[in-house]
Amino acid sequence: MVAETKPSILETESKANIRKVKFEESCKADGDLKYADPRVAFEKELYGGKHLEVPLRSTVDKFALLPAFLKVKGLVKQHIDSFNYLINCEIKKIIHAKANEKITSDVDPNFYLKFTDIFVGKPCVEQDYIVEDITPHQCRLRDMTYAAPISVDVEYTRGKEIVVRKGKDGQGALVIGRMPLMLRSSRCVLYGKNEAELAKLGECPLDPGGYFVVKGTEKVILIQEQLSKNRIIIDTDSHGNVAASVTSSTHERKSKTNLAVKHEKIYLRHNTFGDDIPIVIVLKAMGVENDQEIVQMVGRDPKYAGILAPSMQECVSLSIYSQQQALEYLGSKVKSSRNMWVKAKRSKVDEARDILANVVLAHVPVIQYDFRNKCIYIAVMIRRMLEAMLNSEAVDDKDYVGNKRLELAGQLLALLFEDCFKRMNGELKKHVDITLSKANRSTQFDIAKCMRPDFLTSGLEHAISSGNWTVKRFRMDRKGVTQVVSRLSFIAALGHMTRITSQFEKTRKVSGPRALQPSQWGMLCPCDTPEGEACGLVKNLALMTHVTTDEDEGPIIALCTTLGVEDLSMLSGEELHAGSTFIVFFNGTILGVHRRPLRFADHLRKLRRAGKIGEFVSLHVHSGQRCIYIASDGGRVCRPLVIADKGVSRVKEHHMKELKDGFRTFEDFLREGLVEFLDVNEENNCLIALYEADATPATTHIEIEPFTILGVCAGLIPYPHHNQSPRNTYQCAMGKQAMGNIAYNQLSRMDTLLYMLVYPQRPLLTTKSIELVGYDKLGAGQNASVAVMSYSGYDIEDAIVMNKSSLDRGFGRCIVVKKYSTSLKKYQNRTADRIVAPQMIATGKNNIMAVASRCQLQDQDGIAAVGEMIRPGDIYVNKQSPINTRDDVPNPMAMKDSAYKPTPQTYKGPPGECAVVDKVLLTSNDENHFMIKALIRHTRRPEIGDKFSSRHGQKGVCGTIVQQEDFPFSEKGVCPDLIMNPHGFPSRMTVGKMIELLGGKAGVMSGKFHYGSAFGEPSGHADTVHAISNTLIRNGFSYSGKDFIYSGITGHPLQAYVFMGPIYYQKLKHMVLDKMHARARGPRVVLTRQPTEGRSREGGLRLGEMERDCLIAYGASMMILERLMISSDQFQIQVCTVCGLLGHYNHNLKMSYCSSCKNGASIATMKLPYACKLLFQELQSMNICPRLTLSEA
Amino acid sequence: MDHGGPAPPEPVTYLCGDCGADNTLKPGDVIQCRECGYRILYKKRTRRIVQFEAR
Repeated sequence: MVAETKPSILETESKANIRKVKFEESCKADGDLKYADPRVAFEKELYGGKHLEVPLRSTVDKFALLPAFLKVKGLVKQHIDSFNYLINCEIKKIIHAKANEKITSDVDPNFYLKFTDIFVGKPCVEQDYIVEDITPHQCRLRDMTYAAPISVDVEYTRGKEIVVRKGKDGQGALVIGRMPLMLRSSRCVLYGKNEAELAKLGECPLDPGGYFVVKGTEKVILIQEQLSKNRIIIDTDSHGNVAASVTSSTHERKSKTNLAVKHEKIYLRHNTFGDDIPIVIVLKAMGVENDQEIVQMVGRDPKYAGILAPSMQECVSLSIYSQQQALEYLGSKVKSSRNMWVKAKRSKVDEARDILANVVLAHVPVIQYDFRNKCIYIAVMIRRMLEAMLNSEAVDDKDYVGNKRLELAGQLLALLFEDCFKRMNGELKKHVDITLSKANRSTQFDIAKCMRPDFLTSGLEHAISSGNWTVKRFRMDRKGVTQVVSRLSFIAALGHMTRITSQFEKTRKVSGPRALQPSQWGMLCPCDTPEGEACGLVKNLALMTHVTTDEDEGPIIALCTTLGVEDLSMLSGEELHAGSTFIVFFNGTILGVHRRPLRFADHLRKLRRAGKIGEFVSLHVHSGQRCIYIASDGGRVCRPLVIADKGVSRVKEHHMKELKDGFRTFEDFLREGLVEFLDVNEENNCLIALYEADATPATTHIEIEPFTILGVCAGLIPYPHHNQSPRNTYQCAMGKQAMGNIAYNQLSRMDTLLYMLVYPQRPLLTTKSIELVGYDKLGAGQNASVAVMSYSGYDIEDAIVMNKSSLDRGFGRCIVVKKYSTSLKKYQNRTADRIVAPQMIATGKNNIMAVASRCQLQDQDGIAAVGEMIRPGDIYVNKQSPINTRDDVPNPMAMKDSAYKPTPQTYKGPPGECAVVDKVLLTSNDENHFMIKALIRHTRRPEIGDKFSSRHGQKGVCGTIVQQEDFPFSEKGVCPDLIMNPHGFPSRMTVGKMIELLGGKAGVMSGKFHYGSAFGEPSGHADTVHAISNTLIRNGFSYSGKDFIYSGITGHPLQAYVFMGPIYYQKLKHMVLDKMHARARGPRVVLTRQPTEGRSREGGLRLGEMERDCLIAYGASMMILERLMISSDQFQIQVCTVCGLLGHYNHNLKMSYCSSCKNGASIATMKLPYACKLLFQELQSMNICPRLTLSEA
Repeated sequence: MDHGGPAPPEPVTYLCGDCGADNTLKPGDVIQCRECGYRILYKKRTRRIVQFEAR
């Protein structure tokens, strides 16, 4: 083992030789270019022809790799790749699966229907028997689903003949349903389009895609995080005992197998067995009858054998020695299944054997009851457990990212599709059986005519639109898998695409899954997580992360065998753990062993770099477990890194130049083995240097750019590495609420709610991430000139003082566009809603006929005209509905006017404000339902109470608006847009904001954008404070960014210099106008007669229990009475003093009357809350008789 | 706004979202451009005078 790896060869040789070998190597590596490049010659001269141990490092600026990566991979490549894999490969695998491929009939043995191929076509919709192509934008506007037909090639019997139906390019084949398409997937019309073509289709070129349009709403299938399948996870249970668990998942079955320790003995726990089974019995049942062999398979080391002894003993004490005895024992423990009558013929022994073969550890294949592989697998599991018992560090970390898999849209849809497909086949089979069992049929039975495409269509559509994923086969019932894409801002939508949710319960009080894992480095953003209950459970991908999709296993297995992996069947238990052999795992199953693991790993990696196997295949040598793990499964997170040889980057200056000149793409870097993707496990075998300068000879990889550890949202923050970390987290949440521009097509999108900034700007202090994601094109904020000083006292608690003239010039001015949509319903009696022209009514003194004022904005078609002002209460669609919608009506199309009742659509907006009708769209959806969508626009200028924030988690409301005359100004005449209280800094420690101010100021003066990328100072992607200060000095400012300020009120200079400069400010969507609410009198709930609840219902302001407690404590009893009864739901009742029941007042007789005593003699009148009276009556209705006992007050 | 007079009701025309052609609609019509068959129509801007308040 020692003498096989390259570095160790070198160790054995003399030092002089090393130099020579290495230098020669470097010559070879550089090749001809060495002589072509004059710089190399110069260097040679400079170093006096000294023999260099390693070729000279040049710090190559690898940043250009990043845009190149994003160009080919894109920000949401994971989603799109995964969906592409589904519609191109996985879907074919599903229909070719044994259980799905063929439909047969129990009635007619000759009948069959076989699916030979499947194809997802181009997005289109059939309307009035015409097939039309559709674009995503059309679907959004028309409330349709962006979907493509799924067509299958089939072969089936019709009578005696065999019919083969085959399509060409998806044409002519049998359509079985419609698959909702992911935007920008390979079947989408947007695929491969350039900016101009996208604009023509009404799409924003900056929109990332990766979501679905279902019934007009954009839905994203969130990335789901879960524990890795088919892997052994060693854990400790609540008693501190070691346990091993494997969640096996194959196409047919999902099961969880546990090995647990109880009373120092190892048991197998599985839900098919009612009891824990001693593990030795399980092994014996699988055919390892020999105790010695068991020990050999686990490991002969006495330390293991000692722990295993009690388990061995137990087996003997149960007197189980042979396989037959073991199987009988297992058979007696098998849980009787519910559908026992089906397989009643089988003996218990057979049943137990079948369970062992197919259910326990289902992912380890057992062919022809050859249990060898499974035995070894269990033995390895036991060995891992024993190791963990001896050494607690061998316990696996469940939160380790390498043990996690991300489930993407493709995988989730595949599950759903297969489920729907199976159900559809089941229905078809039922239909076939029923039809064929009928003796004489008039026409020949043609199954192709019985396909019901809506079964699959609605199944997929419904799941995506509701987010409920139910697959009974796998006992899967998830809610909230999909979400409506948040279009509050461009960043919100982007951030939504990279979001990861975990299946963990939110209520559990464990910190483990929520904590930041060191292995998240570079894969998941350390900043972007919500606050509160989902904190740490909802994560976001980092900028360069890629999520793998499944890869074909066959070629890799074959390759491994070629590279010297010895098959398990040829090994005895003794050889398994002998000497230098490492066990080779491939996607969770044992492939065999290898005697020279490091060499094997080296070869396989070289092959991967050469492109002979998939770029996402990962190989990880675990020297502690003496295992090699090869993974090609989907859902692993990985990221690209520059490969280094002995600490020297393979990416050289000329590579980057070629990239810059367009001769090279990111793919070329991958193909030539300069850059490779590493997953979290393989990172453990590597030594990754942050910068090339930090690399040592042991370094294997070099980071491309350090700021890529952050995600999209955190990438907007300038100098995040100078901020206190929670501030960055706050900004990640707030960046999603900032107003600005959401897309180039924002005005034609007809979103339900759209917040826009009137004059959005790009930040003066940018980052590289901002440029990469396109935030500079669709910004959400403005560069405000900020003075950090106290002013007026209206700036406490983070409030900001705003300059009125700035607001007049348009600072923070925003437009709120709301969609109001109406559809004309059709009813079952074939009547329908209609829209009529506004009625003329007599108004004024002279009874002039005129249109009612709230209808005046309508045209003759009864729909509001574009450009008209609209006030609350105005009718924008003058709709009428038929009164009778159930019974048959003679002529439903031409009914009398009296048969309609007016159902006008009124605009409800903030009272006193007037908005403008911006756009009115008329369309019909794919079911020919007429729809009207009206956009109503409201322009708002900032007012006191509106929320603003900088990019450093420093939010604040507008405290007061001050005339510019009273604002402080500098000696140059600069007057700030807003004043921020300096108390915001000490406790928040947002140094980044201060540097942003400095950098912004320098940027304004020097006329260029400054950069503040995360960790960017060493690589030049962030300007240093030193450099900024120099720029400021050059432009005549103080190096510290402080200015000499005059008071606007007195005109005197202020005592102190004031820190002043531009900071990018975001206006957040929380505005006072949408929130302010007050009520004196108003609507009440019908049932209880109490005031309604909530602002939207003009509700009352509740005096709650705790407020009531205060009043009780204070002794303000009349106040309580007033608040809780008089101002709420006071009611006068008649109480009979004799029986204590409620009476009533008879208005005819003008007297009170008790209906139970049948007289009106002793009735008292009193007041109580209506809710109390209601309670009495409700109690009476359930046979409880409440009686009031009155006394004189 | 004194437009309530007995002006002859002229038919309202709509713009096609694709080709921009003028379209008229009668109750019960399918919403579709007569020129290009596009199914999204937009209303035209009002001809009435609108006075905005600049604030």
